[in-house]
Amino acid sequence: MTSLLQTQALELAYGQVPACRDISINVNDGEIVTLIGANGAGKTTILRAIAGALPPRSGTIRFAGKDITALPSHERTNLGIALVPEGRRVFPFLTVRENLELGGFKFRKEHARVRDRMQAMFGMFPRLRDRAAQNAGTLSGGEQQMLALARAMMSEPRLLCLDEPSLGLAPLVVRDIFQTITAINARGTAVLLVEQNARYALQVARRGYVLQTGSIATSGPCSELRSDLRVQEAYLGRGAASAGAAAP
Amino acid sequence: MSSIVLQQAINGIVVGSLYVLVALGLTLIYGVLVQINFAHADIVTLGAFAAYGVTHLLSGNYLAGIAAALGLGAALGWLINAGIFVPLRERGSELLPLIATIGVSIMLQNAMLALLGPIPYAFDTPYSNQVIRLGTLFLTVQNVLIILVSGVSIALLYGFMKFTFLGKALRAVSQDRETAGLMGINPGHLIMLTFVIASALAGLSGAMLGPVLVLTPFAGTSVIVKAFAIVIIGGFGNVEGTILAGLLVGLIESYTTQFLDPGLIDIVVFALLLLTLAVRPTGLIAERREENV
Repeated sequence: MTSLLQTQALELAYGQVPACRDISINVNDGEIVTLIGANGAGKTTILRAIAGALPPRSGTIRFAGKDITALPSHERTNLGIALVPEGRRVFPFLTVRENLELGGFKFRKEHARVRDRMQAMFGMFPRLRDRAAQNAGTLSGGEQQMLALARAMMSEPRLLCLDEPSLGLAPLVVRDIFQTITAINARGTAVLLVEQNARYALQVARRGYVLQTGSIATSGPCSELRSDLRVQEAYLGRGAASAGAAAP
Repeated sequence: MSSIVLQQAINGIVVGSLYVLVALGLTLIYGVLVQINFAHADIVTLGAFAAYGVTHLLSGNYLAGIAAALGLGAALGWLINAGIFVPLRERGSELLPLIATIGVSIMLQNAMLALLGPIPYAFDTPYSNQVIRLGTLFLTVQNVLIILVSGVSIALLYGFMKFTFLGKALRAVSQDRETAGLMGINPGHLIMLTFVIASALAGLSGAMLGPVLVLTPFAGTSVIVKAFAIVIIGGFGNVEGTILAGLLVGLIESYTTQFLDPGLIDIVVFALLLLTLAVRPTGLIAERREENV
């Protein structure tokens, strides 16, 4: 497996306020990698840097062997990075169909390709076909998440970055979304998944990074992370029991 | 009686469609940037003078004058964005571009005053004095041209925004610039395009206004105040609302002139503005902002 995305010693800040330091992560072609961590640990910040919405203070980002650290976000999309942002960020006053078309903006000169791609998305999310002419702002939260996911997939990305896809959704909908993510990955798209719902994330992903207050605390295969006591205590809610058992 | 009502409706639509052309540019720029270009009025004036100059130079070819105004407007839009909005945006201030455009406006007005003088120009097009009669109604060919040009421009703009990839991208940028960037859209390009379209419309409206209004270096300024009122009544950044509000204000003006007193026009229009702000602060056609969690 070759490395698709590689960040090296990224240091990120909002203005003068430091957010993350020494972030080195790696995503190989075709795998699912998760970033977990508490609120404010810096997960969203890292995704924004990868997507090009936040220029890093130092460090490098390489994608498919190319240094993209200085590229603006619209050019990264053209290289094959797609981000489903936190809170979905569908265009509320554009219809579902228009949202999808814009997801395929880089293919705007190939109308047939955009059309085919949209049909494929409607096949994957039949609900979106029913709502194609509706403004995206009128969709339910789950439908908006599906739209944001489909919109990102319109650009045929090599790397799909997802920021909290389960946020605020009903458990049944969350299960659907995660199944879809797995299906997308099975067709060859690498996935970088940021999640607060660590239980789901560690089941779906192959490898993971655990973030703590702006830096990577630990990383490894998800099977190992699941049995890591610190991870269990902090994110999987088995803290009380294991802490009690470990006490002398 | 009914023919007076109808006649004034036509007059109102003529004036209203001119207001729409001016106001659309303001609302487009606001929609995309949440910024106001105070030099917009002077692009209208410059458009009027460009049309005047070219029409006279080509011995009465008003259509060439219209084209010149359109082109000049587009060029000025490009210049104002590249020269003021882009560099000041990089500095990250919201207020700087606003103040800078006030400066540009004052500069342009005084340059025109120095060059062209304060005495109104008589801008007569070959169409100003040709009258069409429809039963008891009459309108000049110039008025027909105004309605036609405005109608076609508005329809073209609407079609562009609704049906082309670029138009949809422009709406996306105005709704969420960062996310539009994630779609592979270069927001900078679309902001430039918005300025060019908005200012071309301003130049165009100047060419159409020139023969109807008193043509001085302050011609645009007299219209822009109404245009701002229309933008607010229609809902900032809302294209459909602006079109509706522009026509409404035009009609109100012509009926006020007919049935009340021409001196009351501003009072009535701004009373409507205050009423809108009190009752529907988001404008006539408020976009429904439904939020789902």
